[in-house]
Amino acid sequence: MKVLQITPSRCTGCMRCELACSYEQTGMFQPSLSVIRVSPFEAHTSYSPYTCFQCAEGWCMTACPVEAITISPVGAKVVEHDRCVGCKLCTIACPYGTVFYNADTHKAFKCDLCGGAPACAQACPTAAIEYVEAETADWQGPFAAERGRPLVTPLAAAGV
Amino acid sequence: MATRHLILGGGTAGLNAITTIREFDRGASEITLVSHERPYSRMVLPYYLGRSIMEPHVFTASPARLDALSVIPVFGRKAVRLDASAQLVKLDDDTELPYDDLLIATGSSAVRPPIPGADGRAIENLWTLEQCRNVLAAIRPGTEVTQIGAGFIAFTILNSLLSLGATLTILEVAPRILPRMIDDKGAAIVQSWLERQGVAIQTGVEVEAIEDVGGRKRIRLANKPPVDADQIIMATGIRPNLAWLEGSGLVIRQGVVVDDHLRSNVANVYAAGDVAEGRDLVGGEAAVHAIEPTAMEHGRIVGANMAGQDRAYRGSLLMNIVDVKDLEIASFGKWDAAGAETFEVLDSSRPAYRKLLWNGDRLQGAVILGMAKDIWTTNDVGMLKGLVQTGADLGAWKPYLKANPWDVKRAYVACQTAGRLLPETVVGHPSIPAPLVLAVAQA
Repeated sequence: MKVLQITPSRCTGCMRCELACSYEQTGMFQPSLSVIRVSPFEAHTSYSPYTCFQCAEGWCMTACPVEAITISPVGAKVVEHDRCVGCKLCTIACPYGTVFYNADTHKAFKCDLCGGAPACAQACPTAAIEYVEAETADWQGPFAAERGRPLVTPLAAAGV
Repeated sequence: MATRHLILGGGTAGLNAITTIREFDRGASEITLVSHERPYSRMVLPYYLGRSIMEPHVFTASPARLDALSVIPVFGRKAVRLDASAQLVKLDDDTELPYDDLLIATGSSAVRPPIPGADGRAIENLWTLEQCRNVLAAIRPGTEVTQIGAGFIAFTILNSLLSLGATLTILEVAPRILPRMIDDKGAAIVQSWLERQGVAIQTGVEVEAIEDVGGRKRIRLANKPPVDADQIIMATGIRPNLAWLEGSGLVIRQGVVVDDHLRSNVANVYAAGDVAEGRDLVGGEAAVHAIEPTAMEHGRIVGANMAGQDRAYRGSLLMNIVDVKDLEIASFGKWDAAGAETFEVLDSSRPAYRKLLWNGDRLQGAVILGMAKDIWTTNDVGMLKGLVQTGADLGAWKPYLKANPWDVKRAYVACQTAGRLLPETVVGHPSIPAPLVLAVAQA
């Protein structure tokens, strides 16, 4: 299955992925409606996008009481808009924090790989996001652990 | 001869057990499902009540679906006796159903306080579909509704009652609202928010009697003036449906005691969901978690085991989320652990509140409360669940979270939490969407 492979060291924090995602999904350039979210992982200069891992367990999918989350032809877990009632069980079931709730539409929303042409990967100017045949993985973890070290070492040294 | 599985209860646990049995055995066994009501999702009844979904949307097991899953339905009946040595269950119409293995997933029923007038007119528990229909018929804009009980389940219907135009009063016997979901500080924020929305709330009040006065209801309170209403909603708790199992030989404490494979003490008898006393994920102790996620996981684990697999269940994580007029409220794990080291941060103007409870360097519980527009920009809600679920040692990131409790994501990612989670499954293989179970299995 093709997945969004993220290489954090290539991310410049430009946020084009958030704009492309929200525009593709909602017709509005609105990062708060993007399902890929860029965060800094040390003070200012180490960024990475973060989104649904399309995990094997599908916690969101099994949590849904009305089977509103299913697997699309490209293998993504997708929220069926007409079936979702907005109970938010999926948002707390997903242990990655990548299922969101839209308080205006009263529906859950998450990455659906844009049906096989992910807008974020297309928009990324540095190939920090690539849509490739790969095993999903913790793309950001080792990067964030290493780059975040300066944030925590002083605290540990001070015995906080 | 094919194994005869007998499933009692068509709720979340029972239906998940059925789809999981079929995931593994591809239709090779016989499954009989006994359910008093035509199966529906209780979780989504508030949305039917609030008129955002139509009634057909709540049903979960259509005849076509049951046929595709090769399930023999026995609806409109209840189990009344278990004869474990003869391996049969007697129903309320005297039918006897033999089994090779049995799943007790008979769920809970709503209870009412034993007070005069508790069973009078214009009083409904909002537990069943039929009760929701009755309440929908009774509420018009301006109908004065008093809800007795301010627990989590009661709160899932608040938005619906307000959207129907009800004028709402809530009475709660405990000193705070949501007593088994959030703490005093969180409850104070929620109460203040609801009062700003025009909801009247009284806590620490005891209902002594309910009377009919002039075509309306009068609720008599101990040491307080009475409250009058057009319609009363009883949300005073639920009890698991276990009375019918007296004398069956099953060991029952708060629920049917089950091991990590969801087996009871009686051979070939399993229990799942609200009736089962299983294991808490965080503390490891015996617990009944009468919540939807536990019923779902129990159903999948027990279904795998009934189909001949050997799946141990790590334990269920207590978790709840509800919103009241866009104020999101969630709690996880040991959110009220006595004496636990806690980090708290409170901003009553937004409002926003979060509390992290520690067991050494492991997050054992959390409470999080905030406006929807704040909560859903990061979804720390899911990440907190992930941290509690994995029991990850946060190490140096724990003092970071103490200093920066709003920055959960950075600590979560830097602790490589996703890496720990990705190999985790509940039944041992990637999940298959339930509607596709037979199609995929037969491919």
